Amino acid sequence: MNKSNYFKLDARQTRRNAMIDALRAPCYALCITMAGFSAIARESGFDFIMALTTSLGVWGMPGQVAFASLYSAGASLLIIFVAVSLANMRMLLMVISAADMMHLKSHDLPVWKRIFWMQFLAITAWAHLGFAQQKYPSHLLLHYYQGFSLTIFTFGILGTVMGFFLTDLLPPELLRVVIFVTPIYILLLIMNARQKANRLAVIFGGALSPIFFPFVGEWAILLAGLIGGTLASLYGRFIAKWHLETAA
Amino acid sequence: MEHYSFFQSWLAVLCAILGTLIWRVAGVMLASRIPADGPMMGWVNTMAYALVAAVLLLIFVHPIGVLATTNLDQRVVGLAAGLVMMFFTKRLILSLFCGVGAFALAIEFI
Repeated sequence: MNKSNYFKLDARQTRRNAMIDALRAPCYALCITMAGFSAIARESGFDFIMALTTSLGVWGMPGQVAFASLYSAGASLLIIFVAVSLANMRMLLMVISAADMMHLKSHDLPVWKRIFWMQFLAITAWAHLGFAQQKYPSHLLLHYYQGFSLTIFTFGILGTVMGFFLTDLLPPELLRVVIFVTPIYILLLIMNARQKANRLAVIFGGALSPIFFPFVGEWAILLAGLIGGTLASLYGRFIAKWHLETAA
Repeated sequence: MEHYSFFQSWLAVLCAILGTLIWRVAGVMLASRIPADGPMMGWVNTMAYALVAAVLLLIFVHPIGVLATTNLDQRVVGLAAGLVMMFFTKRLILSLFCGVGAFALAIEFI
């Protein structure tokens, strides 16, 4: 299907296409990943409803894992709040970026509805949105996002339920291969971002975080994101002048 | 290891939810105030991409949990196979299977 055919789709067809994209691979990997969280949560002393509420309400894997490990250590409520906020701070940037990609303003939704839909945003859906941006016209991207994010959310919650009750869902030899799917999938998506500056940011951010890690630990993520993103942005604007290219 | 009472454990869950929700709400509020094609939006986007790449590369280089039972060489083989395939074919699912397949083989043979 070439790009002009995507313009002819309506909202329902776009949602269905997005659902199919989700069902092709990412939803199963995410299901297993969330089952992994659930297993960690149970070992940390969560009961089932708590694990489920955490997945439903937080919906951001790094923050959830941070929460479970702090909970098992008996950390104070303030520490939990601060650590989860730091681990999920990228949500702020991802939400702004997603709203920009989907031209959310043009859909004229009330604030509560915008927040409601952003509740389903996590790394996979955001990265997929950037990838879909190359095929779909921007007025359909909100519908694409709805179909995609709800599908993987459903599978993620299913994974949380299964992981809590089925201790050995998969043998460890197979499990580690399945766990590898989500990170590599997301990396493949983001290295194909439409704008060159964003692709450059992937390279800078990815290269810097393992370099910083031995010195600053988990702070490496935020530091690499800030420095890598800023460098890519400056390079794109002042050295390569890519913005002129996109304007042409 | 009962650190929390029933009430406290639910407060902890609430703290985790709020710790994420604040960013989503702030994101929605800020998104409508930042001009769409300006340098600020460009910067937000590059930082989002760099942050996500930073999270992922840390998972590849210093994994926790079950991935930590594999070694770095095996993960690099899988990652490289996927990236090379994507670079040449631009086909997402094919590249994904190629990378994951190479990783599975690397675990077997390296």
